[in-house]
Amino acid sequence: MGSLTALLEGFATAAQPEYLLYALLGVTLGTAVGVLPGIGPAMTVALLLPLTYTLEPTAALIIFAGIYYGGMYGGSTTSILLNTPGESSSIVTALEGNRMARAGRGAAALATAAIGSFVAGTIATILLTALAPTIADLAVTLGPADYVALMVVAFTTVAALLGSSPARGLAALGLGLFLGLVGTDTLSGQQRFTLGVSTLADGIDVVVVAVGVFAVGEALYVASRLRHGPVEVVPVGGRWFTREFWSRSWKPWLRGTFIGFPVGTVPAGGADVSTFLSYAAEKKLSKHPEEFGKGAIEGVAGPEAANNAAAAGVLVPLLTLGLPTTATAAVIVAAFQSYGIQPGPLLFTDNSGMVWALIASLYIGNVMLLVLNLPLVRIWVKVLQIPRPYLYAGILLFAALGTYAVNFVVDDLIVLLVIGVAGFFMRRHGYPVAPLVVGLILGPMAEEQVRRTLQISEGDLTALVASPFAAATYGVLAVVLVVATVVRVRGSHRSRALASPPSVK
Amino acid sequence: MIVERIEEYVFGGLVTALGVFTLVDATTITARGTAGTVGPRAFPYAVGALLVVTGVAAIVATAKGKLGQAAKAADAADADTGLRTDWPTVAKLVAVLVAHLALIDVVGWPVAAVVLFAGAAWTLGAVWWKALAVAVVLALVVQVVFASGLGLSLPAGVLEGVPLLDG
Repeated sequence: MGSLTALLEGFATAAQPEYLLYALLGVTLGTAVGVLPGIGPAMTVALLLPLTYTLEPTAALIIFAGIYYGGMYGGSTTSILLNTPGESSSIVTALEGNRMARAGRGAAALATAAIGSFVAGTIATILLTALAPTIADLAVTLGPADYVALMVVAFTTVAALLGSSPARGLAALGLGLFLGLVGTDTLSGQQRFTLGVSTLADGIDVVVVAVGVFAVGEALYVASRLRHGPVEVVPVGGRWFTREFWSRSWKPWLRGTFIGFPVGTVPAGGADVSTFLSYAAEKKLSKHPEEFGKGAIEGVAGPEAANNAAAAGVLVPLLTLGLPTTATAAVIVAAFQSYGIQPGPLLFTDNSGMVWALIASLYIGNVMLLVLNLPLVRIWVKVLQIPRPYLYAGILLFAALGTYAVNFVVDDLIVLLVIGVAGFFMRRHGYPVAPLVVGLILGPMAEEQVRRTLQISEGDLTALVASPFAAATYGVLAVVLVVATVVRVRGSHRSRALASPPSVK
Repeated sequence: MIVERIEEYVFGGLVTALGVFTLVDATTITARGTAGTVGPRAFPYAVGALLVVTGVAAIVATAKGKLGQAAKAADAADADTGLRTDWPTVAKLVAVLVAHLALIDVVGWPVAAVVLFAGAAWTLGAVWWKALAVAVVLALVVQVVFASGLGLSLPAGVLEGVPLLDG
């Protein structure tokens, strides 16, 4: 069956009113959490994981993918109107976007972010549609050792590229791997690190960890340094539908797309890196370099396109290899697993109906997001103004509720609190939390594959690097690490230089 | 700043300590009949080693003056990194969470939820009676949605037997 026929069938499924509603729910929630500082798509998907007990897989995954895409749209609104990013992938947007808003061109900034997100999201989804089945076909031939290689790539890149230093990123990964060890070993049936506590024998639930670090840890961190007083939102001003708007925006949109998508597909830190690259490219190519730092529209259009394209790119390794490269993708893997489905090359043959409906819903979700974020943007401005005491109290309440609702036992809340406090100190000291979540979810999978490989090879360790694919992967990893480190150092220099605004007092 | 540096040492030390614990505790995992293959101990050894190495590396980085906090400038929207850490607020929030989890089995979820929300909002600066009013409404709405809509029943506790609230 050709991909096109499969995609059309996917549309037939996704266009049913029921699924349209699920997609709308997903993208609306996603935009809301994208707009609200302090909560992101990873935590929201984690909180909604219990939905997998009641909803069928297609419906749940459509909601989760909608949240993921929506988060990328919503983050820009906060960046532009508050000068503080709603999501880490919108840090760059705050540089130029907020200057534009303060200069009375907020409408143009919001419009170029929304339309750019739509253009990039759609093109990147087309690329995903074209590439994913081919990659899945190739990936079917991969053995356990090859998977180990891919997971090692995911571990090292996620851990080494995030956070304030590689040591801290890898430590966070180690903490996640440790949490993944707690419980009963699947292959031998032995209990590990359970301290004799019966709650821990089943392992620590992904929901509890993700909610603990993202919601409780983050809320405690913000509370420790809460900016008091009312939230100051820059009023949206100016017109956007002008000739200059289009002529200065369309090229950055396309460039952002083609920077973001490849960066998303390789495990190199996800959307954040792509925004830095795009910003640097726009600044270099612009005919108005003097405007950068004072509100250049290209500096909003490019990065906002790039982060959406990267979000679609992340879905390529997720769907074809089962390899999550961001925290949100890791939590989505957990959702697949709770249905007993292993995302990976077999997804396109064993669950093709579901996966194509999911892809089709991404196209539909993008259209919905354009409507939600362009004509309806003023609603989100209201959401931004929720008084912070209530916002963070609500985050804590729903974090506790989501955790409690997994098993209805108070013990889970104790684990949540412990992990939340640990998350607070990680946040405080520059330990990134994404590697922890990726380690928790990928760790047990990696262990199983390693042990399977060594079972076949009867303990011969060279089996791990014997296949050409695995050997090549480790080689590429070395190269990527070097290149990405260089890019990151440059990117953070740029953003830091620009992030200190000339004080307007 | 000196306090924060000590904290960083402590955190790095804790990571190292967890690594040591992992290595030691891994020796007690029963591994039977796994000769020639990798048993349930190998991965814990690797994770323990990773934690020890990275914990020590973090301590070394701190000693060299590379603090974790310095790099985190622009990413938390509502947090003002220029402010001093408000420890009483953090302690109060933790206390409110402890109260919540201790109260669920005693007085039921709705009351425990009111304590959590109102307590947290008040701690963060909301007017107490407004926080309380919002908390009561929110807790009741969630309780009704769970009881009637999702078919999952949160323990009603003291409100047991009340129509709509007791699923």
